[in-house]
Amino acid sequence: MTDTATPARSLDQGTTPLRFARGWHCLGLASAFADGKPHAVHGFGTKLVVWQGGDGELNVLDGYCRHMGGDLTQGEVKGDHIACPFHDWRWGGDGKCKEIPYARRVPLRARTQRYETVVRNGQLLIWHDPEGSAADHEVLPPELPDVMSDKYTPWSWHTREINGSHCRELIDNVADMAHFYYVHFAFPTSFRNIFDGHTATQFMESKGRPDTMGGGYGDENSTLKSVATYYGPSYMINWLEVDYKGFVTEVVLVNCHIPTGPESFTLQYGISVRKPEGLDEQTCAYIAERYTQSFGDGFLQDVAIWENKVAVQNPLLCEEDGPVYQLRRWYEQFYVDVADIKPEMTDRFEFEVDTTKANEYWHAEVAENLAKRAASEAAAPADA
Amino acid sequence: MASFVPTSAETLADLRRYTEDRLVEVACLDCLARVRVKKNSDHHTSVQWSAEARSACQELGRRDQGPGGRDVHKPCARLMASIDDAVRAGAVPVGAYDGY
Repeated sequence: MTDTATPARSLDQGTTPLRFARGWHCLGLASAFADGKPHAVHGFGTKLVVWQGGDGELNVLDGYCRHMGGDLTQGEVKGDHIACPFHDWRWGGDGKCKEIPYARRVPLRARTQRYETVVRNGQLLIWHDPEGSAADHEVLPPELPDVMSDKYTPWSWHTREINGSHCRELIDNVADMAHFYYVHFAFPTSFRNIFDGHTATQFMESKGRPDTMGGGYGDENSTLKSVATYYGPSYMINWLEVDYKGFVTEVVLVNCHIPTGPESFTLQYGISVRKPEGLDEQTCAYIAERYTQSFGDGFLQDVAIWENKVAVQNPLLCEEDGPVYQLRRWYEQFYVDVADIKPEMTDRFEFEVDTTKANEYWHAEVAENLAKRAASEAAAPADA
Repeated sequence: MASFVPTSAETLADLRRYTEDRLVEVACLDCLARVRVKKNSDHHTSVQWSAEARSACQELGRRDQGPGGRDVHKPCARLMASIDDAVRAGAVPVGAYDGY
């Protein structure tokens, strides 16, 4: 018997927004830009130039000279300014043209797109707003006490370009309980979301699956307590307590991205580990590298899904799913004009996912997988 | 087109179903906050605050004054207890419809 009463559900792929989110975006570790050379960072549909002037300030401008479009990222830092390789026009961090060496005077209208900068937790953040508002320092991510001190390992920082997906796919993970089992090979035993103002938080406790060889979330010897908060549209701090066979390590993971085009973004993540007491520097560095590797692998597991899925405007949910619609309603506040932000986009919302049934089913499935594995190992000849 | 705003009528109906349906008002027993609650099961809880309720909650207000960090986003324990009370009293039905 086929069910003819229920019509087939359509997949609403929606339309990709034509603007980029308002908010603070992290370009990378500040130290990476502090060598007196111009650096190129792709973002917001263009290329940005980042440099440190002789005064020590980090500056960010649109990467293309407003004179004849020369690529400033291929220019040269002269004093505090960036000089265009095409005609040597000199631009200051305030966006104004400071000097044209061959001209009698600089045109009064010679101003380019600049981005306000803040160095926070050792990272360079810039304010982006299609409406051109002044930077809102109230919504900066918090300072992380002790990180950047000798109590923690230095940031291990990594960058990866993602093509063919809007960055909302990355945001969706905040509310996605079940993918931690299927994609990251962990049992999420407790899962809660709180969205409030410009922040969106995921609280999760998980334990690795014993039937997979997955690192990161999926190591059967480790349990994880995770608090991950997005401060605005693109910058997440994830506080992790990893209990590996009774040895607890505190890990801070920063997960941030810069949208580069309508369907592409650059993912960046950094890891800093609280140095366990009594361990030497070399061992601490080794532990940090192991966590960096395993959480990096975790991102790659997500990327494989994103690169092959389609956008879905109308996800079909079951009772065990997290609050995807409410999360997206929260995320929308960064894509509308400030005047158009609706109360429900920023009103506090809390959601506790019921993980009890899911874990029951998953434990049964894992037990079956382990039994199958044991049976096939018993059947195989010993010397195979 | 400025944003992700869903446009199809069916998607808008889903949005309403998942975000608005079956919310029941619950008043905090300790302050003037009134929130809207849904319980799909004993372990599931969905709590929709309003700006008015948020500003009435002293616990959350206190946390807003402190430095930022990992604990500032936790739920208010008093409200959670009030919701548990309302559920026990039968004021909040427990059970899901078709996945919502």
